Parts: sequence; structure tokens; C-alpha cells
Amino acid sequence: MSPLPQVLLDGLVAGGAYALMAAGMSLILGVVKVVNLSHGAFFTLGAYVAYAMADRGIGGPVAVPLAAAIAFAFGVFLGKSFINPARSHPFALPVGTLACALLFEQAAQLAWGPHPLAVDGGAPWPGPFGVVVRRWGAVAFLASAAILGALRILLVCRPGLPLKLVAEDEEIASSVGIDVEAVRYLTFGGACAMAAAAGALLAPAGAITPTMGRGPLVLSLIVVIVAGMDSVGATFLLSIALGVLGNACAYYLSPQWSYVALLCSVALLLSARPTGIVAVPGRRD
Amino acid sequence: MIRPAPLSSGWATQIRGGWLAAGIGLLLLFPLSYPDAYLLDVLTTGFLLAAFAASWDVVGGIAGQVTLGHALPFGAATYACALLTRLAGWPFPLAAAAAVLLATAAGAGVGQLASPLSGPFVAVLTLALAEAAHEIAAGHAFLSGPGGYAWGGEGGIPVVLPWGDAPPIASYYAALAFLCLSTWGILRFSRSESGLVLRAVAGSPLTAQASGVPIGRFRRLAFIVGSAFAGAAGAGYAAHVGRATAGDLSLELSFQAATFAAVGGRGTVVGPVVAALALHALFQGLSLPPAARVLLYAGTLLVTLRFFPGGVAGTAREVAARLRSRDRNRGGRRRRGGEAPPGGSA
Repeated sequence: MSPLPQVLLDGLVAGGAYALMAAGMSLILGVVKVVNLSHGAFFTLGAYVAYAMADRGIGGPVAVPLAAAIAFAFGVFLGKSFINPARSHPFALPVGTLACALLFEQAAQLAWGPHPLAVDGGAPWPGPFGVVVRRWGAVAFLASAAILGALRILLVCRPGLPLKLVAEDEEIASSVGIDVEAVRYLTFGGACAMAAAAGALLAPAGAITPTMGRGPLVLSLIVVIVAGMDSVGATFLLSIALGVLGNACAYYLSPQWSYVALLCSVALLLSARPTGIVAVPGRRD
Repeated sequence: MIRPAPLSSGWATQIRGGWLAAGIGLLLLFPLSYPDAYLLDVLTTGFLLAAFAASWDVVGGIAGQVTLGHALPFGAATYACALLTRLAGWPFPLAAAAAVLLATAAGAGVGQLASPLSGPFVAVLTLALAEAAHEIAAGHAFLSGPGGYAWGGEGGIPVVLPWGDAPPIASYYAALAFLCLSTWGILRFSRSESGLVLRAVAGSPLTAQASGVPIGRFRRLAFIVGSAFAGAAGAGYAAHVGRATAGDLSLELSFQAATFAAVGGRGTVVGPVVAALALHALFQGLSLPPAARVLLYAGTLLVTLRFFPGGVAGTAREVAARLRSRDRNRGGRRRRGGEAPPGGSA
């Protein structure tokens, strides 16, 4: 029996959840205009929340919204207290968001230890051709697709107008009465909640460690650089492609090589398209 | 030939120079007071870290290219020292020279890729390259030594040192001398013509480009010089610790350098050195688990960025300058004898 269909299916499922995280990151890049290097930490936070809940016998349907709520609270705090005031200092943002990520990684290590933890995802359903459909996988894929669909509708409908306007031109947005600062920190919080939801959905997929968010962070960076903020569909497809590739790499080589491959692709991408990043307009002086 | 303007005039420079000399004197005197061996070791490591922080400042401070992968040349140098002395049997000084060359070459490569980028994307690119190197070094026991020992992986590769176990006091003085030399070298560079052009490029790339400065070439130069000094610090670290480990390439190390620079003031060279010594001695002296130490670094950095965006030293200097100018204004008004109402507008 070839393991290939199973590897592809698991990659597809993981990619769907990564799309949720990547869409959050591109929202941050588009609206707040910040490359959020702490995005991976929120993914890890979601996974640990799912673990802590599963440890108490409470399943995913409660853990995912809880993780999202916790991440939203922290995201709003971070956006309001650090990102908004520090936005005018180009040095502070990448270094500061990385500091948040390391802070969380170390805090998680102190709280839960450096050892990998696991969440039991329940017995899988047998599918055709000897492929098993993992229960959590189906839930993760469908939930991510639903949230992304909602985001897409939000972005083209009236309630999403402030987001697009702030992304387009903050001065015009504030001149028509939009509270730009509030839009920024709420977007930041919401995007962090999306990352945490992705982490909670994918918690049964593998080992939960303090640094597990780094791979998804790099994957989101690639997606954001290529796809930009407006095209939720492109984000979704690209994340799935990368999820499948990453999973195949992890299965046939080793999980570490999958991370290295992602890192090398982001480096290649940046050196090939130094100015082609869609969503970051230059600062207007 | 461009001449650097004096960075700050009069007594301020004199006092600062004096304090620096006093600090070096104290550090020279310190081992003679029969200190704890652990404390001596902490300071020796601190000197090497401080030299590393100063080399970060060439790229991240003077040239304004915020790199989060500065551990790459550092770790490349420690690994080169270990591999060349272990496998090729080179004597340590030769291996160290080769390691510095390798680090410089790595810096040239990273600079080549990073020079067209700006802002956060420099950080992302350098972070990705260094993380890739870290993963490769950490995850693969790619060598097996004599006696069936696996080398590489998290345990690292031992370095062959001709002097075996050096007395701690000798390591201390050697590291201090290295720190003084490399800081002096970086200061010379930062006040040379290239250094001044780099500051102009960091200040406004567009203006520099419009004045005919090939900004890509100068940014590459910053990466090359910074990586060469980082490689030298890495070779020194390999000699002190006697082992190249994956931690030498870690994101945490790059991040530490950025923290030191942010606290000490980016672009000041001496500021990051002082911050590195103070923070390292403080946090290492607290005898905490390593995880808690990184936590403290991250917390310190966030507080600094939030409340002192120009670094602690930079903000203090700004406040002092503001106070001084206020004094001067007050004095001026008094001299003018109340001709104009204070703050009055026509």
C-alpha cells in the first residue's frame, strides 16, 4: 500500500488550517502594515489551549473558541499597547514582535516543559483505498474553510469596508470618521484569534512543543508574500499546496527538512522579488 | 575626504571617554581580587557576547539593516573552528583565521541577498537563512567521530585547542583584549568615510541614492564587515567554550544581539557593548534556568522598545539635551531682560 494518498490527504487538511493562519497574517500586513513575527506564537498558544482542555476531557468544539478568545484578548492588548505606538519605528516592529514570540515560547516552556505533548484526536474513519480520514482533520478543514469563506464575504461586503479603507489609505479613512486605531488593534486581535484557532484545530496533528509555531509562521510569510491581502482564495489554495508539500517533505525526509525547505523558499522568494510584495505600500514621507 | 563631525561637543565627550577608561581599568583590576571562578567565566563570555553585539551594530545600527540572523556568521565560525581542528587537524590559529574568512564570505552572501530589501523583509530573510543553518546543524549528527561518538546535533562538536584548559584568568584577559580591539575597530569603521555614508544610507536610502551613493554596495559592505567581526567573536567563543553547538546559530542568540543594541542605543557601538556586559552579568548572575533568561531578555527588549525607542542611553541623552536647551533658553530670556513675553506669539 502506497502511503502517498494518506500523506497528500493529511497535507491537504493541515494546509486548510494553515490558510486560516496565513489569512490572519495577511490581514495584519494589509491593515496594520506590520510583519507580525509573533503570529506563530499564537498558533502555539492555540495548540496548548487545546492540549490543556483535552487533558481535562473537554473536546475541540469548546477548545477552539476558547483559544480564539484568549488569543483575541492578547492580540488586542499587544496591538493597542505595543504595535500601535511602535508603528513609527521601523526597527521596533520586527524585533518587538519576535520578542513577543520568544517571550511566549519560553513562558510555554516554563509552564508545560520542553517535552513534546500530544492530543488524542479520536479514532479515524476508514475511507476508500485504505486511506483513513482523521476526525479532527475533517473538522479542521471544514471549520477553516467556513471561517475563510466568512472572511471573504466580510471583505467584499459593507461591514468590511473600514478594513479595506484603512488598508488603502488611513488618512481618508480617518477623514470619513473611521477610528483607524481601533480598526488596527481589532484587526490585530482578530488575526491572532485566527492563528490560535488554527493551532487548536491542528493540535492533534503532531507533537506540541514550545517552538512548534515557527514552521507555520514561515509558511504564512510565504503565502502572504505571494498572495497578498485581498485574495482569500489564493491564500487558501497556496496554503494547501504548501501544506501538502511540507507534509510530503516531513514524511519522506524528516520534519526538520520540511522546516528547512520552507525557510529556503522564503529566502529565495524574497531575493527573487525584493519589491514585489503586494500588500506593503512604501511609507509616504 | 569626509571628516566626521564630533559626535557631541565639549565636556560630554570628555566625561564619557573618562568613564570608559575607568570601566576598562576596573575590568582589568577585577581578576586580581580573587573572584569566584564562575563570575570570571560569566564576564569572559560577556566580553565575547559584547563584541558580538558590537558587530550586530555595524549591520543593524550603523547601516540600519535590521538583521535577525546575525548568529549565522558567529555560528559558522564556531563550527568552522571545530570541524577544521577536529577533522582536518589544522592548528587552532589557522582554523580561526579560516573561520573568520568563512564568516565574512557568509556575510557577503547574506548581504548580496539582503541589500535590495528594506524594512522588515531584511529581518525575515536573515532570520530564515540563520534558522535554516540552525536546523541543519541541530538536527543532524552528520559526523561520527572516533570511538563511535556521534558529533553534531544538539551536543555539538568539540574544538581541539592547543593549550588544553587555559587558566580562567588568561581567558579573561584575552577576551577583554579582544573586546577592546574589536570595539575600537568597529568604532574606526563607523567613523570612516564608509561608515558615514552608511549612516546616510540608513537615515534615508532615497536621499542617499539620489546623491549618487550605490546603496546596494554599501549595504553589502556593512554585512561583510559586521560578519567578519561576528566571525572573530565566534572564533573567540569556540576557543573559550571549546565546543561548537547548535545554540551558536540560534535565533535566540541573534535576538540577544538585537536586544543589547536596542537597550544600549543602535548605532552607538559602545552602547551595545555596555548593555551586553551589564545585562549578561545581571541575568547570568541571577542563576535562573535558561528559559527564564530568554524570557527576561525578551521582556527587557519590549519594555525598552515601548518606553525608550531610542535605547536607554539614547533617550537619556535626548532628555539631557532637552534639559540643557531649556536651561539655555531660560538663561537667554533672563539676559534679554523680559523684552519678549515667554512663549508669546505675535
